[in-house]
Amino acid sequence: MRKQRRLKVIAAGIILLCGMALLVFVGIKRTSVRHFTPAALVTDGNKMNNQQVQVDGLIAEGSATWDAANFKLTFAVCDRETAATVNVIYKDRLKPDNFTDGGSVFVEGKYDATQNLIVASKLMTKCASKYEGAESATPTDETSYISE
Amino acid sequence: MTAEIGQAAIFLSVLSGLWAIGFLCFGLRTRNQNAIQSGRNAVLATFVLVSIATGALIYGFVTDDFSMRYVVEVSSAAQPLLYKITALWGRMSGSLLFWLWLLTVAGAVVIWQNHRHTKETNDTLSDYALIPIAVVQLFFIILVTGLVEGVYNPLARFPNGQMAPDGAGMNPLLQTPSMAFHPPTLYIGWIALTVPFAFAVGALASGRVGSEWILRSRRWTLFSWIVLTIGITLGGNWAYRELGWGGYWAWDPVENASFMPWLLGTAYLHSVMIQEKRNMFKLWNILLITLAFQFTLLGTFITRSGIITSVHAFAQSDIGGYFLGFILASTAGVIGLIIYRWRRLKSANRLESLLSRESAFVLNNWLFVGLTLIILWGTLWPIISEAINGEKSSVPEAFFNQVVIIPGLLLLFLTGAGPIISWKKITVNNFQRMFLWPLVIGLAAGALTWGFLALIKEETSLLYSVLCVAASTFVIVAIVAEFYRGAKLRAKRQETSFLNGLNLLIQRNKRRYGGYIIHIGIVILYIGIMGSKGYFLLESKGLRMGESMEVGQFQLTMKDSFEKEFANYRRTGVVFDVAKNGKQVGTMEPARHFYYKTGQGEQDTIESAIRHFGVNDFYIALGSIPPDVKTGGVVNVQAYYNPLIGVVWIGVAVMVLGGIVAIAEKPQRSKDA
Repeated sequence: MRKQRRLKVIAAGIILLCGMALLVFVGIKRTSVRHFTPAALVTDGNKMNNQQVQVDGLIAEGSATWDAANFKLTFAVCDRETAATVNVIYKDRLKPDNFTDGGSVFVEGKYDATQNLIVASKLMTKCASKYEGAESATPTDETSYISE
Repeated sequence: MTAEIGQAAIFLSVLSGLWAIGFLCFGLRTRNQNAIQSGRNAVLATFVLVSIATGALIYGFVTDDFSMRYVVEVSSAAQPLLYKITALWGRMSGSLLFWLWLLTVAGAVVIWQNHRHTKETNDTLSDYALIPIAVVQLFFIILVTGLVEGVYNPLARFPNGQMAPDGAGMNPLLQTPSMAFHPPTLYIGWIALTVPFAFAVGALASGRVGSEWILRSRRWTLFSWIVLTIGITLGGNWAYRELGWGGYWAWDPVENASFMPWLLGTAYLHSVMIQEKRNMFKLWNILLITLAFQFTLLGTFITRSGIITSVHAFAQSDIGGYFLGFILASTAGVIGLIIYRWRRLKSANRLESLLSRESAFVLNNWLFVGLTLIILWGTLWPIISEAINGEKSSVPEAFFNQVVIIPGLLLLFLTGAGPIISWKKITVNNFQRMFLWPLVIGLAAGALTWGFLALIKEETSLLYSVLCVAASTFVIVAIVAEFYRGAKLRAKRQETSFLNGLNLLIQRNKRRYGGYIIHIGIVILYIGIMGSKGYFLLESKGLRMGESMEVGQFQLTMKDSFEKEFANYRRTGVVFDVAKNGKQVGTMEPARHFYYKTGQGEQDTIESAIRHFGVNDFYIALGSIPPDVKTGGVVNVQAYYNPLIGVVWIGVAVMVLGGIVAIAEKPQRSKDA
């Protein structure tokens, strides 16, 4: 009797654990988004056609146009190390604070490999600010996300 | 000079920290009261020394001492006094010092709370607890000395007598009252969790693993819970009002880092009740509070190490490694002690039925811990995914929203079922008396919601809304009935009025009924989250002067613009006429602030306008305003309708109220030991 009860408790625990693991597994499967540098995305582009991607890079100098009347921001993200760039359209949302040429940017959206274009659903800018923590006492670049 | 005194105090506190640990260990081992007393005094000395250091830094802020590196980084001459002081925790090294100072306050309070009891009974449990507190303090002391790589001493001056003309100033986004108080509230909550953890370690070390350590640290746990609840909410409230994206919770890594210890602390508050009542789960409670404490450090590790990028503007630094090292080392220490005390940790009782209050508590604990692990997994997914297949991925907000719903609804159901199910085993009588009506009324409410939502053809989140309303109603009926039955009984026994009876009921058992009030707050919170997350509306449009847009029942017309100069910023904005269902209800003036001088140079921030319609909010945020706004320039407008968002804040207020009722109960002494 006692053993049986114990078994029941263990069984209930296992069911709960499996349920949660399943939730996480399905959740990750459905929502996980792969992260790229612009260079990696351009090289690997065809595989990611029509899929959600995240790209982390810099706002290409002079590439940004902001069409206020239609609420549309277009620009290019360039790689931190190579010359590769990816185009981005961001619609129906406010232009984030600190959106400046050369600034760091993080983009999430659907990638269209034929046009090398991301239709962004999320855009975060990082702003240059004073660094702390490092040994030097002089201001250098730091990255910090400010707005979504 | 002051800064040098502060620095000296920090270095001396290394010695007092070592002294405390050494003498307490030695004194407890050899039962030498003088050595123990000396150890206690060293803990007090650490408190005094760190207070001097903290005071010296505040003095540097107030007197605008721009030869101090930290002052230059977070303050400026023009910064209002309040923000000069809150600059103390504006960045990393200062916040480490502040954290340390709070820890030393906790140590001193533990001595003060226990000194009479200790003197009268020669009881050393609280002295055992001082050792882990002193160890954690020493860890932080070493970080702020600036001797380890990656952190500098917050009291350090620039080399060679250099001096900056003015400070860089604090980020303007942080210069609001709720942001001034959000971080310290969280710190206080996290640090308060150190005390029950220390008592758990003390219990293991002294071999007294009964309920006494739990009872003697109970108020700390509850205090931590209340403060964390407030702190997390302040953060959400700040984000809502200041960041201009219309939401209050985005499952950002830093938010998760503050939420996970709260979840574990809540689990612990529940599971200790079974140990007190049924003498079960001794080991589990120790593990749970250890985990909760480690998660407060893990939060720092996640947010400060730069391994996960976050909305929060923290610097990346090397201190993550130290935290990880400390977490691993201290966990290993606890596990060692557990193995050492293994035989004493066995439970006297076992679960008797799957349908009993004990099981409800167990399920509650599994769900809380499960939720924590799910959130941890999601937060660390960028690292985990890279480790699994070399592809770095991350999960968006949607992952968390989807994954927490089912465990969240189960927990909601338990907030009603837990308090009314009988101990040991549910009986037919218990079920009929306590469950029948709440279930019937809950199901009816769910059905009505279904019908209503179907009628207005609202299909988003239909199933979850129905379940949420049904479970919420069940809980409210179950708990109100508990209050009603108890109050009526008291009133009858004391021959007094019902309200007096209710008052007596709560007074006599503050912990239990305080807990039930928290449960009611939880239900209110759920309803608020359901409305504001499930049914918000968002419209974005570029508008010219005189043009209008619509959001649900609201119409906005842009009718004017304005510009004002302030000491350190310029405010530009537009004026909207707002109408609800065609009827004029007033004007709203969203704006943008352009700060001339900040930690980040010039900065432009959104100053959204919020108008409350009862518990529903209408919210407008603006893009940057063109100079030709009066003559046809386009302004970008983002407008939100957030139904029931006010209910979120009310729910939290009720939870805090319940927490205060519960903490008012005098700590009892247990007989075991």
